[in-house]
Amino acid sequence: MDSRVITITSGKGGVGKTTTTANLGTALAMQGKKVVVIDGDIGLRNLDAVLGLENHIVYDLVDVVEGQCRLRQALIKDKRQEELYLLPAAQTRDKNAVNSVQMEQLCQQLRQEFDFVLIDSPAGIEQGFRNSIVGADEIIIVANPEMASVRDADRIIGLVEAAGKPEPRLILNRLRAEMVKRGDMMAVTDVLEVLSIDLLGVVPEDEAIIIATNKGEPAVYDKRTRAGRAFTHAAQRILGEEVPLDDLVESTSLLERLRRLMGFGPALGEKPVRSQSS
Amino acid sequence: MGVFEFMAGKKKPSPGEVAKERLKVVLAHDRLKLNPELLELIRGEILSVVSRRLAIDEDQVQVNLAHEGGAEKLLANMPIKREKITFEWDPPSHTPNSNVLHGTVHVDTTDDEQA
Repeated sequence: MDSRVITITSGKGGVGKTTTTANLGTALAMQGKKVVVIDGDIGLRNLDAVLGLENHIVYDLVDVVEGQCRLRQALIKDKRQEELYLLPAAQTRDKNAVNSVQMEQLCQQLRQEFDFVLIDSPAGIEQGFRNSIVGADEIIIVANPEMASVRDADRIIGLVEAAGKPEPRLILNRLRAEMVKRGDMMAVTDVLEVLSIDLLGVVPEDEAIIIATNKGEPAVYDKRTRAGRAFTHAAQRILGEEVPLDDLVESTSLLERLRRLMGFGPALGEKPVRSQSS
Repeated sequence: MGVFEFMAGKKKPSPGEVAKERLKVVLAHDRLKLNPELLELIRGEILSVVSRRLAIDEDQVQVNLAHEGGAEKLLANMPIKREKITFEWDPPSHTPNSNVLHGTVHVDTTDDEQA
Protein backbone atom coordinates (compact mmCIF):
# COMPACT_ATOMS: atom_id res chain seq x y z
CA MET A 1 0.00 0.00 0.00
CA ASP A 2 1.19 3.49 -0.86
CA SER A 3 0.79 5.09 2.48
CA ARG A 4 1.89 8.60 3.44
CA VAL A 5 3.17 9.76 6.80
CA ILE A 6 2.56 13.49 7.23
CA THR A 7 3.66 15.54 10.23
CA ILE A 8 1.87 18.74 11.19
CA THR A 9 4.22 21.07 13.02
CA SER A 10 4.79 24.78 13.69
CA GLY A 11 7.50 25.62 16.19
CA LYS A 12 5.29 28.08 18.02
CA GLY A 13 2.46 26.82 20.18
CA GLY A 14 -1.15 27.80 19.84
CA VAL A 15 -1.20 28.36 16.08
CA GLY A 16 -3.58 25.50 15.35
CA LYS A 17 -1.57 22.31 14.85
CA THR A 18 -4.03 20.10 16.68
CA THR A 19 -7.05 21.70 15.02
CA THR A 20 -5.37 21.25 11.64
CA THR A 21 -4.51 17.62 12.34
CA ALA A 22 -8.03 16.79 13.49
CA ASN A 23 -9.64 18.51 10.52
CA LEU A 24 -7.29 17.16 7.86
CA GLY A 25 -7.57 13.66 9.32
CA THR A 26 -11.35 13.82 9.38
CA ALA A 27 -11.54 15.34 5.90
CA LEU A 28 -9.26 12.66 4.44
CA ALA A 29 -11.39 9.95 6.09
CA MET A 30 -14.50 11.60 4.64
CA GLN A 31 -12.84 11.27 1.24
CA GLY A 32 -12.71 7.53 1.81
CA LYS A 33 -9.13 7.21 3.00
CA LYS A 34 -8.06 5.08 5.92
CA VAL A 35 -6.44 7.48 8.36
CA VAL A 36 -4.74 7.38 11.74
CA VAL A 37 -3.97 10.59 13.61
CA ILE A 38 -1.23 10.43 16.22
CA ASP A 39 -1.05 12.85 19.12
CA GLY A 40 2.67 13.48 19.41
CA ASP A 41 2.33 15.91 22.29
CA ILE A 42 3.16 13.56 25.15
CA GLY A 43 2.20 15.06 28.49
CA LEU A 44 -0.16 17.61 26.95
CA ARG A 45 -2.69 15.46 25.17
CA ASN A 46 -5.35 17.41 23.26
CA LEU A 47 -6.08 15.82 19.90
CA ASP A 48 -8.47 13.39 21.64
CA ALA A 49 -10.60 16.28 22.91
CA VAL A 50 -10.70 18.08 19.57
CA LEU A 51 -11.98 14.86 18.01
CA GLY A 52 -14.43 14.29 20.87
CA LEU A 53 -12.75 11.01 21.86
CA GLU A 54 -11.41 12.00 25.27
CA ASN A 55 -13.59 9.49 27.11
CA HIS A 56 -12.57 6.56 24.97
CA ILE A 57 -8.91 6.32 25.85
CA VAL A 58 -7.54 3.22 27.51
CA TYR A 59 -4.01 2.84 26.19
CA ASP A 60 -1.74 5.41 24.61
CA LEU A 61 1.34 5.88 22.43
CA VAL A 62 3.77 5.29 25.29
CA ASP A 63 2.00 2.05 26.25
CA VAL A 64 2.42 0.86 22.66
CA VAL A 65 6.08 1.82 22.50
CA GLU A 66 6.83 0.19 25.83
CA GLY A 67 4.97 -2.98 24.88
CA GLN A 68 2.26 -2.61 27.54
CA CYS A 69 -0.38 -3.24 24.89
CA ARG A 70 -0.67 -4.13 21.25
CA LEU A 71 -0.95 -1.32 18.71
CA ARG A 72 -4.51 -2.32 17.87
CA GLN A 73 -5.60 -1.98 21.47
CA ALA A 74 -4.43 1.61 21.65
CA LEU A 75 -6.07 2.75 18.41
CA ILE A 76 -9.37 4.50 19.09
CA LYS A 77 -11.97 4.39 16.38
CA ASP A 78 -13.64 7.69 15.57
CA LYS A 79 -17.28 8.12 16.52
CA ARG A 80 -18.45 8.90 13.00
CA GLN A 81 -15.77 8.01 10.49
CA GLU A 82 -15.36 4.30 10.04
CA GLU A 83 -11.88 4.70 8.66
CA LEU A 84 -10.49 7.22 11.13
CA TYR A 85 -8.44 6.21 14.16
CA LEU A 86 -6.64 8.08 16.93
CA LEU A 87 -3.46 7.05 18.68
CA PRO A 88 -3.55 9.24 21.79
CA ALA A 89 -0.60 10.71 23.65
CA ALA A 90 0.18 9.73 27.21
CA GLN A 91 -0.96 12.40 29.64
CA THR A 92 1.14 11.43 32.64
CA ARG A 93 4.51 11.03 30.97
CA ASP A 94 6.96 13.45 29.43
CA LYS A 95 8.30 13.90 25.92
CA ASN A 96 11.39 11.82 26.57
CA ALA A 97 9.34 8.68 27.23
CA VAL A 98 9.69 7.90 23.50
CA ASN A 99 12.77 8.05 21.30
CA SER A 100 13.24 8.61 17.58
CA VAL A 101 13.89 4.97 16.74
CA GLN A 102 10.67 3.89 18.45
CA MET A 103 8.69 6.57 16.62
CA GLU A 104 10.11 5.52 13.28
CA GLN A 105 9.22 1.90 13.96
CA LEU A 106 5.72 2.92 14.97
CA CYS A 107 5.26 4.82 11.70
CA GLN A 108 6.46 1.81 9.74
CA GLN A 109 3.96 -0.40 11.53
CA LEU A 110 1.08 1.99 10.88
CA ARG A 111 1.98 2.27 7.20
CA GLN A 112 0.94 -1.35 6.78
CA GLU A 113 -2.66 -0.55 7.62
CA PHE A 114 -3.37 3.06 6.78
CA ASP A 115 -3.40 5.29 3.70
CA PHE A 116 -2.49 8.28 5.84
CA VAL A 117 -0.62 8.61 9.11
CA LEU A 118 -0.96 12.17 10.42
CA ILE A 119 1.26 13.18 13.32
CA ASP A 120 0.36 16.16 15.48
CA SER A 121 3.73 17.49 16.57
CA PRO A 122 4.26 19.22 19.92
CA ALA A 123 5.36 22.86 19.91
CA GLY A 124 9.04 23.56 20.23
CA ILE A 125 12.12 22.16 18.54
CA GLU A 126 13.18 19.57 21.10
CA GLN A 127 12.91 15.80 21.27
CA GLY A 128 9.13 15.73 20.85
CA PHE A 129 9.41 17.66 17.59
CA ARG A 130 12.29 15.51 16.34
CA ASN A 131 10.33 12.36 17.16
CA SER A 132 7.35 13.67 15.25
CA ILE A 133 9.26 14.25 12.01
CA VAL A 134 11.63 11.29 12.02
CA GLY A 135 9.24 8.92 10.27
CA ALA A 136 7.50 11.49 8.08
CA ASP A 137 7.41 11.55 4.28
CA GLU A 138 5.92 15.03 4.21
CA ILE A 139 5.77 17.99 6.55
CA ILE A 140 2.97 20.50 6.87
CA ILE A 141 3.82 23.70 8.69
CA VAL A 142 1.02 25.61 10.36
CA ALA A 143 1.60 29.33 10.87
CA ASN A 144 -0.44 32.40 11.68
CA PRO A 145 0.20 35.67 9.81
CA GLU A 146 2.09 37.32 12.66
CA MET A 147 5.76 37.88 13.55
CA ALA A 148 6.45 35.21 16.17
CA SER A 149 4.67 32.43 14.33
CA VAL A 150 6.31 33.14 10.97
CA ARG A 151 9.71 33.46 12.59
CA ASP A 152 9.33 30.10 14.31
CA ALA A 153 8.03 28.56 11.09
CA ASP A 154 11.24 29.66 9.39
CA ARG A 155 13.28 27.92 12.09
CA ILE A 156 11.25 24.76 11.57
CA ILE A 157 11.73 24.92 7.80
CA GLY A 158 15.49 24.98 8.39
CA LEU A 159 15.34 22.03 10.78
CA VAL A 160 13.13 20.04 8.42
CA GLU A 161 15.61 20.63 5.60
CA ALA A 162 18.52 19.69 7.84
CA ALA A 163 16.72 16.44 8.68
CA GLY A 164 16.74 15.59 4.98
CA LYS A 165 12.97 15.83 4.57
CA PRO A 166 11.34 17.18 1.40
CA GLU A 167 10.25 20.81 1.32
CA PRO A 168 7.38 21.40 3.70
CA ARG A 169 4.09 23.01 2.72
CA LEU A 170 2.30 25.76 4.60
CA ILE A 171 -1.15 26.06 6.06
CA LEU A 172 -1.66 29.70 6.90
CA ASN A 173 -4.15 29.60 9.73
CA ARG A 174 -6.29 32.27 11.40
CA LEU A 175 -6.04 34.78 8.59
CA ARG A 176 -8.23 37.81 9.14
CA ALA A 177 -9.16 39.00 5.69
CA GLU A 178 -10.59 42.31 6.85
CA MET A 179 -7.31 43.13 8.62
CA VAL A 180 -5.32 42.19 5.50
CA LYS A 181 -7.59 44.44 3.48
CA ARG A 182 -6.87 47.34 5.82
CA GLY A 183 -3.14 46.60 5.66
CA ASP A 184 -3.10 45.72 9.35
CA MET A 185 -2.09 42.09 8.82
CA MET A 186 0.42 40.43 6.53
CA ALA A 187 -1.17 39.08 3.37
CA VAL A 188 -0.81 35.48 2.22
CA THR A 189 1.69 36.53 -0.44
CA ASP A 190 3.78 38.39 2.16
CA VAL A 191 4.15 35.27 4.30
CA LEU A 192 4.90 33.08 1.29
CA GLU A 193 7.53 35.52 0.08
CA VAL A 194 9.22 35.79 3.46
CA LEU A 195 9.27 32.01 4.02
CA SER A 196 9.78 30.87 0.39
CA ILE A 197 7.38 27.99 0.91
CA ASP A 198 4.61 26.33 -1.07
CA LEU A 199 1.06 26.93 0.09
CA LEU A 200 -1.25 24.07 1.01
CA GLY A 201 -4.12 26.11 2.36
CA VAL A 202 -5.36 29.34 3.90
CA VAL A 203 -7.75 29.04 6.83
CA PRO A 204 -9.61 32.13 8.00
CA GLU A 205 -10.02 33.02 11.64
CA ASP A 206 -13.41 31.57 12.42
CA GLU A 207 -15.47 31.30 15.59
CA ALA A 208 -16.73 28.03 14.20
CA ILE A 209 -13.42 26.45 15.25
CA ILE A 210 -14.03 27.24 18.91
CA ILE A 211 -17.60 25.99 18.64
CA ALA A 212 -16.45 22.83 16.87
CA THR A 213 -13.79 22.18 19.51
CA ASN A 214 -16.33 22.78 22.29
CA LYS A 215 -18.51 20.12 20.76
CA GLY A 216 -15.67 17.77 19.86
CA GLU A 217 -16.70 17.76 16.21
CA PRO A 218 -14.11 18.99 13.72
CA ALA A 219 -15.27 21.96 11.63
CA VAL A 220 -15.00 20.01 8.35
CA TYR A 221 -18.35 18.38 9.20
CA ASP A 222 -20.06 21.73 8.75
CA LYS A 223 -19.73 22.81 5.13
CA ARG A 224 -21.18 26.21 5.97
CA THR A 225 -18.16 27.18 8.03
CA ARG A 226 -15.39 28.93 6.16
CA ALA A 227 -12.66 27.32 8.23
CA GLY A 228 -14.21 23.90 7.70
CA ARG A 229 -14.31 24.45 3.94
CA ALA A 230 -10.71 25.65 3.94
CA PHE A 231 -9.56 22.49 5.74
CA THR A 232 -11.56 20.30 3.37
CA HIS A 233 -9.90 22.02 0.42
CA ALA A 234 -6.46 21.55 1.97
CA ALA A 235 -7.21 17.84 2.36
CA GLN A 236 -8.25 17.68 -1.28
CA ARG A 237 -4.96 19.31 -2.25
CA ILE A 238 -3.12 16.66 -0.22
CA LEU A 239 -4.91 14.13 -2.42
CA GLY A 240 -3.57 15.91 -5.49
CA GLU A 241 -6.71 17.77 -6.51
CA GLU A 242 -6.42 21.32 -7.72
CA VAL A 243 -8.74 23.38 -5.60
CA PRO A 244 -8.71 27.17 -5.90
CA LEU A 245 -8.49 29.23 -2.72
CA ASP A 246 -11.79 30.31 -1.23
CA ASP A 247 -12.61 33.98 -1.47
CA LEU A 248 -11.99 34.99 2.11
CA VAL A 249 -12.76 38.65 1.58
CA GLU A 250 -16.50 38.74 1.51
CA SER A 251 -16.83 42.48 1.67
CA THR A 252 -14.82 42.96 -1.51
CA SER A 253 -16.29 45.53 -3.84
CA LEU A 254 -18.09 44.43 -6.97
CA LEU A 255 -15.51 46.12 -9.16
CA GLU A 256 -12.65 44.23 -7.50
CA ARG A 257 -14.51 40.94 -7.79
CA LEU A 258 -15.07 41.59 -11.49
CA ARG A 259 -11.45 42.45 -12.08
CA ARG A 260 -10.42 39.30 -10.25
CA LEU A 261 -12.82 37.20 -12.28
CA MET A 262 -11.37 38.64 -15.45
CA GLY A 263 -7.87 37.86 -14.29
CA PHE A 264 -6.82 41.36 -13.29
CA GLY A 265 -6.15 42.71 -9.87
CA PRO A 266 -4.85 40.85 -6.87
CA ALA A 267 -5.81 37.27 -6.21
CA LEU A 268 -7.14 36.30 -2.86
CA GLY A 269 -5.01 37.26 0.07
CA GLU A 270 -2.68 39.42 -1.93
CA LYS A 271 -1.91 42.86 -0.84
CA PRO A 272 -4.89 45.08 -1.53
CA VAL A 273 -4.77 47.73 -4.18
CA ARG A 274 -4.50 50.97 -2.32
CA SER A 275 -7.17 53.41 -3.30
CA GLN A 276 -5.86 56.63 -4.73
CA SER A 277 -8.01 58.80 -2.53
CA SER A 278 -6.75 62.32 -2.13
CA MET B 1 12.43 46.65 -3.72
CA GLY B 2 11.58 47.31 -0.13
CA VAL B 3 8.26 48.56 0.99
CA PHE B 4 9.88 51.47 2.72
CA GLU B 5 11.30 52.90 -0.50
CA PHE B 6 8.00 52.36 -2.23
CA MET B 7 6.16 54.20 0.43
CA ALA B 8 8.78 56.89 0.95
CA GLY B 9 7.34 60.33 1.09
CA LYS B 10 3.77 59.09 0.80
CA LYS B 11 2.11 57.36 3.72
CA LYS B 12 3.45 55.59 6.72
CA PRO B 13 3.78 51.87 5.97
CA SER B 14 0.86 49.83 7.23
CA PRO B 15 1.34 47.51 10.21
CA GLY B 16 1.22 44.56 7.82
CA GLU B 17 4.05 46.01 5.76
CA VAL B 18 6.05 46.83 8.88
CA ALA B 19 5.67 43.23 10.04
CA LYS B 20 6.90 41.92 6.71
CA GLU B 21 9.96 44.19 6.68
CA ARG B 22 10.81 43.39 10.29
CA LEU B 23 10.46 39.69 9.59
CA LYS B 24 12.79 39.90 6.61
CA VAL B 25 15.46 41.45 8.78
CA VAL B 26 15.05 39.12 11.73
CA LEU B 27 14.96 36.04 9.49
CA ALA B 28 18.12 37.14 7.71
CA HIS B 29 19.84 37.26 11.09
CA ASP B 30 18.34 33.95 12.19
CA ARG B 31 19.30 32.18 8.99
CA LEU B 32 22.87 33.43 8.98
CA LYS B 33 23.33 32.38 12.60
CA LEU B 34 25.58 35.40 13.04
CA ASN B 35 26.46 35.67 16.68
CA PRO B 36 28.82 38.20 18.25
CA GLU B 37 31.62 35.63 18.44
CA LEU B 38 31.40 34.94 14.72
CA LEU B 39 31.33 38.65 13.91
CA GLU B 40 34.42 39.14 16.07
CA LEU B 41 36.16 36.32 14.20
CA ILE B 42 35.26 37.83 10.84
CA ARG B 43 36.43 41.21 12.06
CA GLY B 44 39.81 39.79 13.00
CA GLU B 45 40.21 37.93 9.73
CA ILE B 46 39.28 40.87 7.50
CA LEU B 47 41.56 43.08 9.53
CA SER B 48 44.50 40.71 9.14
CA VAL B 49 44.04 40.53 5.38
CA VAL B 50 43.62 44.25 4.83
CA SER B 51 46.39 45.14 7.25
CA ARG B 52 48.92 43.47 4.96
CA ARG B 53 48.35 46.22 2.42
CA LEU B 54 47.09 49.17 4.37
CA ALA B 55 47.60 50.69 7.77
CA ILE B 56 44.33 50.34 9.57
CA ASP B 57 43.30 52.00 12.77
CA GLU B 58 42.45 48.80 14.62
CA ASP B 59 40.41 50.41 17.37
CA GLN B 60 38.06 51.97 14.86
CA VAL B 61 37.26 48.82 12.91
CA GLN B 62 33.58 47.91 12.90
CA VAL B 63 31.94 44.87 11.36
CA ASN B 64 28.18 44.71 11.43
CA LEU B 65 25.25 43.13 9.71
CA ALA B 66 23.00 45.70 8.11
CA HIS B 67 19.76 45.69 6.19
CA GLU B 68 20.13 47.99 3.22
CA GLY B 69 18.27 48.28 -0.03
CA GLY B 70 16.22 45.19 0.67
CA ALA B 71 19.25 42.96 1.18
CA GLU B 72 21.40 41.83 4.05
CA LYS B 73 24.92 43.14 4.00
CA LEU B 74 27.96 42.63 6.06
CA LEU B 75 29.50 46.05 6.50
CA ALA B 76 33.08 46.37 7.58
CA ASN B 77 34.20 49.85 8.32
CA MET B 78 37.94 50.17 8.70
CA PRO B 79 39.38 53.66 8.70
CA ILE B 80 42.89 54.19 7.33
CA LYS B 81 44.91 57.35 7.41
CA ARG B 82 42.58 60.00 6.00
CA GLU B 83 40.93 57.28 4.01
CA LYS B 84 38.09 55.00 4.63
CA ILE B 85 37.65 51.63 3.10
CA THR B 86 34.37 49.78 3.09
CA PHE B 87 34.05 46.18 2.21
CA GLU B 88 30.56 45.18 1.16
CA TRP B 89 29.64 41.57 1.08
CA ASP B 90 26.27 40.07 0.11
CA PRO B 91 26.13 36.97 2.24
CA PRO B 92 24.71 33.89 0.51
CA SER B 93 21.91 33.44 3.02
CA HIS B 94 21.07 29.89 2.06
CA THR B 95 24.58 28.54 2.33
CA PRO B 96 25.64 29.81 5.71
CA ASN B 97 28.93 27.93 5.70
CA SER B 98 30.23 29.22 2.41
CA ASN B 99 33.27 31.43 2.22
CA VAL B 100 33.32 35.02 1.14
CA LEU B 101 33.54 34.86 -2.61
CA HIS B 102 32.41 38.20 -3.91
CA GLY B 103 32.75 41.62 -2.42
CA THR B 104 33.24 45.21 -3.37
CA VAL B 105 35.84 47.49 -1.88
CA HIS B 106 35.08 51.18 -1.85
CA VAL B 107 37.90 53.54 -1.02
CA ASP B 108 36.72 56.93 0.03
CA THR B 109 39.26 59.67 0.44
CA THR B 110 36.90 62.06 2.13
CA ASP B 111 36.40 61.65 5.83
CA ASP B 112 32.73 62.37 6.20
CA GLU B 113 30.90 59.74 4.23
CA GLN B 114 29.53 56.89 6.23
CA ALA B 115 28.43 53.56 4.86
